Amino acid sequence: MAGLALTNVIKRFGALQVVHGANLDIEDGEFVVFVGPSGCGKSTLLRMIAGLEDVSGGEIAIAGNVVNDVEPSERHIAMVFQSYALYPHMTVRKNLSFGLTMNGNPKADTQRRVAHAADILQINELMDRRPGQLSGGQRQRVAIGRAIVREPQVFLFDEPLSNLDAELRVQMRVEISKLHKQLGTTMIYVTHDQTEAMTLADKIVVLRTGRIEQVGAPLDLYDDPANQFVAGFIGSPKMNFLKATIHAVGQEGVTAALIADPSVRLTLPISSRPDIGSPVILGIRPEHFSDAGTGEADLTVAVHVAEHLGHTSYVYAGVSGEPLIIERPESRHAGDQKTLTVGLPAKRCFLFDAEGERLR
Amino acid sequence: MRSKSRSLLMRRLALHAALTPLAIIWLFPLWMMFVFSTMSDYGIFSPDIVLWPSTQFIENFQNLQADTDFLRAMFISITVAVIYTILSVMLTSMAGWALARYRFAGRSVVIAIILGTITLPFAVVVIPQFIMVAREFRLANTWVALIVPPLFNSLGVLFMRQAFSMMPSELFDAARVEGVKEWRIFLHIALPLARPTMAALSIILFLASWNNYLWPLLINSRPGMMTAPVALGTLIGLTKVSWGGIMAGAVLLTAPILFVFIFLQRHFISGITAGAVK
Amino acid sequence: MRVHNRIAYAFLAPYLLIFATFWLWPIISSFLISFQNTRVNPWRFAPSMNWGRLVGDPAFYNALYNTLIILVIQVPVMIALATVMAVFLNSPLLKARPLYRFAFFVPVVVGEVAYAAVFRLMFSADFGIINKIIGTVGISPVSWFDNGTAAMALLIMAVTWRWAGYNAIIILAGLQSIPGDVYEAATLDRVGKVQQFFHITLPLLKPIILFCIVLSVIGTMQLFAEPFLITNRGGPGGATETLGLLLYRQGFTSLNFGYASAIAYTIAALAVAISLLNLFFGRETK
Repeated sequence: MAGLALTNVIKRFGALQVVHGANLDIEDGEFVVFVGPSGCGKSTLLRMIAGLEDVSGGEIAIAGNVVNDVEPSERHIAMVFQSYALYPHMTVRKNLSFGLTMNGNPKADTQRRVAHAADILQINELMDRRPGQLSGGQRQRVAIGRAIVREPQVFLFDEPLSNLDAELRVQMRVEISKLHKQLGTTMIYVTHDQTEAMTLADKIVVLRTGRIEQVGAPLDLYDDPANQFVAGFIGSPKMNFLKATIHAVGQEGVTAALIADPSVRLTLPISSRPDIGSPVILGIRPEHFSDAGTGEADLTVAVHVAEHLGHTSYVYAGVSGEPLIIERPESRHAGDQKTLTVGLPAKRCFLFDAEGERLR
Repeated sequence: MRSKSRSLLMRRLALHAALTPLAIIWLFPLWMMFVFSTMSDYGIFSPDIVLWPSTQFIENFQNLQADTDFLRAMFISITVAVIYTILSVMLTSMAGWALARYRFAGRSVVIAIILGTITLPFAVVVIPQFIMVAREFRLANTWVALIVPPLFNSLGVLFMRQAFSMMPSELFDAARVEGVKEWRIFLHIALPLARPTMAALSIILFLASWNNYLWPLLINSRPGMMTAPVALGTLIGLTKVSWGGIMAGAVLLTAPILFVFIFLQRHFISGITAGAVK
Repeated sequence: MRVHNRIAYAFLAPYLLIFATFWLWPIISSFLISFQNTRVNPWRFAPSMNWGRLVGDPAFYNALYNTLIILVIQVPVMIALATVMAVFLNSPLLKARPLYRFAFFVPVVVGEVAYAAVFRLMFSADFGIINKIIGTVGISPVSWFDNGTAAMALLIMAVTWRWAGYNAIIILAGLQSIPGDVYEAATLDRVGKVQQFFHITLPLLKPIILFCIVLSVIGTMQLFAEPFLITNRGGPGGATETLGLLLYRQGFTSLNFGYASAIAYTIAALAVAISLLNLFFGRETK
């Protein structure tokens, strides 16, 4: 088992730079999730750790050893691919044992490892089938089994669940989480799905256009996002962003006025001192609106449509053309009226400057 | 509804009325090749129209064997075609693999040269090839001369490259992470998966070698080292020659490949159409 | 992908060696030889000798003329026929499809020598089955091998028989790659079958047909075995001598390698030029 360290890692494809100096420490045994929209460089970063892509600059170290020039097979890693990458012409058993056999691993040991992996994943009945005869979930298990057989120091997962249907995805997510508890091995997991990231990770790494935006525990990212991008990316439905201007800066904090409705003013207890009149973004999550009159300010919005999910309702609304989503738990009549007035609790609101950086 | 089904019937009739005579014309030369091969020369050159096979095939073949050692020529043709096909599939699949799956210095140059010259006619190289093989290497009338020079054919490279690049790259990455050596990835994963493509390619290459005429005619013209088409070609145009025998030879040249065609039509067709996919 | 120079060239080397030796170098070499006087030993550099002769050689113009005649008549006829075959074979109304497909595709596997032999016999003036058959409807026998025009017609028929199916296979594959819902939509729009062919099928097939034309042009430019074997060395009196045959006679009967190389390069240049012209016009109207 091993920790990892990325130091100033850069990746270029020709003139195009896709990873701009990534720095990251991963503890031994940690479950780390790389998350971000497509094209953010998360898969490239993972493939560089695996050794499938050259490192254009900086260093990658596994268990304290720089591995930039080490072959993938010598890095003590195993990887599970998005398409599973099972060898279609080999049985499940052969798929699991192929790598070990090709490297001259003793036969008895190979058999032991394969049997062990099959036990862990409960795929014993599938061993003589070919990948084409398996369901998506079963293929996924075999792919993970192939990684387990290698007894690696680090597991790498490249969007392993994105080809499964919604129900299976939840099920496999739980299984991967269990597997991590059982094996205790370092795991690095790439996904574009923030729910997967939130549920699986010890530590989330949010990436955007080749840069690490924030690193932290899932709830820390939710409670304390570093910038507007992370605030919007973590959480579902995503955080509402309303245009505002700085109205006053005083002892108790910063007062912002909504552009859509300047009468709505909110004072946030933050210590930064932006210029009066400068444009900012006020962020609040759909689930954090309070009842009218209970927050530091009230906001009246025009209701467009409401979705009732039973335990909760989402109201899609607008205020002077700016869209909003408001969650109203246990309220099936929230969208009945043409307008809705809700409270804005100041300690649940965030302010971001024009560049999207958080004002603290 | 009634009128619709009637016009459909008319269309169907018209289609078959147009296509059937064309099909008969198209089959006619092959049928006559077979009929002639069973007729005596006397029968062939009689004023009667004979469209039905007779019984003289064996005699015709004996005449052919007397005119030119056709069995020997068939043996050479078969051996050359088999060895050529195996070698060419090996070479071109290795090259196709490299071009499909590795990034390396000079890759685009190699691809550009292959693509840029693939449509050049063979005529443009035949003179220097002949000078090189016959005069410089002194290899005229040898097996090597028949087999090796035609291996330059780059169709297989493009064909195999296409097949390999259609395969998901994660498959090979997975093996790479598992520490499987590159040549073993090629041998144990890529090649087995490319089997249908290799089958189609093999058939096309075998056919090309089997029917190749100009190069064997130039390079192996000594009796005893001629391929079957060359041996048969030497008889055409001679005056004192058994035409029944020539036709028997034509049947023997055509029949084996015809059987392959009937049973493996799908591979044939995918081999021929592969060039058309861009 | 990582950069793998050594491994890649290990896989490429065997093929590249053959490719360079028997294809790339000869292409260059052929060009160089065309500037040599190869009738003396050792060869001497004589830049205008072969090319100069080419420009004034009536035999060259005769072969060029014959080749172009075949190109202009045979290629369009064959491609049209191949398209018809493919469209008919693709029709859902067709019964016994495998039988028709076999009939049209089978010449593809027949070798040049075998079919040359049978055509020669079938078209023999005195005893040929063709003359016997046309005799039954009162047409007097045609001397296929002694009349220049007839010989040329025979050559065109033979090549068409041999290659139409080959092109039909390619065109049929193209037809089958056209999604069926396009036709369903057209049918609902009350577009007739014939209009569908001209306004949907043909435009969508155009790249494939151009590809077939280019292949046929290259084939025709070096046509050799048919005039060599069927019409008896380009007979009568050179009436069916093609550029391919002229190259053979100059190179391997007269052993005049320099002049033959000049002819070879002319063949290649014409093939490339006509192909490019085709592709150019194909793209223009797109």
